[in-house]
Amino acid sequence: MATSTPPRRPTYVGSVLRILDLSLGEMLWSRRSAFMALLVGLPVIIAVVSRLVSVFAPKLALSVNGESVSGSEMFGLMMWMLYIRFIVPILGVFYGTALIADEVEDRTITYLFTRPIPRGAVLVGKYLAYLASTVLLIFPTVIVVFLVMVPVGGGSLAAMFPALLADLGMLAAGLATYGAVFAWVGARIKRPLVAGLVFALGWEPAVLLFPGYLKRLTVAYYLQGLVPHAMPPDSGIGALLQAFTELPAVAPSLLALVVVTIGALWLAARTVESREYVLEQ
Amino acid sequence: MTTKTRYFVVGSLLTVGVGLGIGVVAYSTGFATSAYTLQGGPEELQFIPANASLVAYADVHDLMLSSLRQRVRSALPDKLDGQSDFQNQTGINIETDIDHVIAALLPSTGDQVGHTPGTGIVLARGRFDQVKIEALMREHGAQAEDYKGSRLIVGAIPDGKADGKTSVSVAFLEPGLVAVGTSALVRSAVDQKTGGASIATNDEMMGLIRDLATGNAWAAGRFDALTSQAHFPDGVAQQIPAINLFSASAHIDSGVRGIIRAQTRDDESANSLRDVVRGFLALARLQTSGNPDISTLVQSLQLGGTGKSVSLSFDVPGAALDALQSLHKLGDRSSSAPRQ
Repeated sequence: MATSTPPRRPTYVGSVLRILDLSLGEMLWSRRSAFMALLVGLPVIIAVVSRLVSVFAPKLALSVNGESVSGSEMFGLMMWMLYIRFIVPILGVFYGTALIADEVEDRTITYLFTRPIPRGAVLVGKYLAYLASTVLLIFPTVIVVFLVMVPVGGGSLAAMFPALLADLGMLAAGLATYGAVFAWVGARIKRPLVAGLVFALGWEPAVLLFPGYLKRLTVAYYLQGLVPHAMPPDSGIGALLQAFTELPAVAPSLLALVVVTIGALWLAARTVESREYVLEQ
Repeated sequence: MTTKTRYFVVGSLLTVGVGLGIGVVAYSTGFATSAYTLQGGPEELQFIPANASLVAYADVHDLMLSSLRQRVRSALPDKLDGQSDFQNQTGINIETDIDHVIAALLPSTGDQVGHTPGTGIVLARGRFDQVKIEALMREHGAQAEDYKGSRLIVGAIPDGKADGKTSVSVAFLEPGLVAVGTSALVRSAVDQKTGGASIATNDEMMGLIRDLATGNAWAAGRFDALTSQAHFPDGVAQQIPAINLFSASAHIDSGVRGIIRAQTRDDESANSLRDVVRGFLALARLQTSGNPDISTLVQSLQLGGTGKSVSLSFDVPGAALDALQSLHKLGDRSSSAPRQ
């Protein structure tokens, strides 16, 4: 009589990798990604237009106080205003809140939870898939913007290259932290997208403007501590930004981001492990 | 992972990899991957403040190898000792160590004008012994300090006033690029390493510089800013033509070929300036009609320009310069001959 051995339960890491593999393709080819591709394409369009203007119509180039703004400054400005303040939080909100919420909404979470894998591994695997897909979406655009934009008006690629590396690291840190925070939000509350948008586009920009300690309850505050770019000191934009900058040092910022990321991810995994999801009929 | 996803991942990683590769190559070689090739002018212009009133360039390597320079050297062998003195003091051999230099002057009213205090900076591209230069400067009382990751060697020179000295600095901005000048300007050049408004973003000046690329020595500047700094007596100041911008470019080889341009405030000023130059040219032709060699030189002067622009081009062949040299020698002999 033949004896059949029961299938081995996959390890936690194995489960995470299986979910990562499964979710990466789903995320990349979703309608959400098409929208996000348009969003991250915006800086590329701006960079290409700036470059064309600088070559064919230099008199129309962006200038402050009668002096043209160099490509390096514009690149720094785009990192501040477009990527850190807008694109990264938006990506975090849209993808992070959807990690579990989409499965609940589509009523497919049952299929995942009935597999012999820890529930927390589902969330962690999806989180890593989010991180991979957003990095794969954003990094190439940052590289293209860097190559196209920085040489405009005399910027040097060689001189700006260390700043580019710091920017990529900062973006990865931002995506990781926002994703973890919104993954927790998505796992915890019923309408996470609205709450996420209010946090990213309402709470964070508003609180950063106020003096005091409230800004420490934002992710943006710590991300700004990692920004390697200095705003033009004599420009109106620079003055405006500098008025509100009370930036922490790099090491405390990194530590805070790591703590928030791990903490939020742990809370999200714990929520998924313990929560009973009731699927609407 | 599906094939489509795999292609996307590979494509994305390739884009990032190629971009970072370009950055690494640019960073490690100091490669001038910048818009200067499109805008014109050497890449070192990015270190010159945007409000510079004069920018000058010399391709030292080209000039040192020119046959004109060789002739001058053979004619005046004993007057070039300053070059070896400079080498003893700085460890820099001008003939072999420097490729090209850029110098800039900034207007100065009191201690500060615009954003940048100070008066002048020189950027030299070439091969320099940083340790030796620092040691020699330290021997003369200079101090080393760090400024935004760059090492500055700060010294002081008398400023001509009774009460003080001007702080001057030397900084190695990149491998093979040294900046020498007033400390504020050298710090400003260090600041420019990460980009910012520089003379390369000053469209007015870059418009002049773009047209000078053919010369191995050139200068461009704001004439009004320079004359306002010169503190001419009132009578003299009123006689100076109303010139806003000027540029001069020369290509020096066996002879000297070049052009001087001026841009006046209005068409009327340009016409007046043309009349003055035309008068001088007529006088010069009259005076040199008896000497064919010098006459060739004068005949090469061509007045041009339209509207607010006035230009004077010249082409002095090597033979004309030889003739000038022989005239100079004749003059020396006649002045040193005993009088009867």
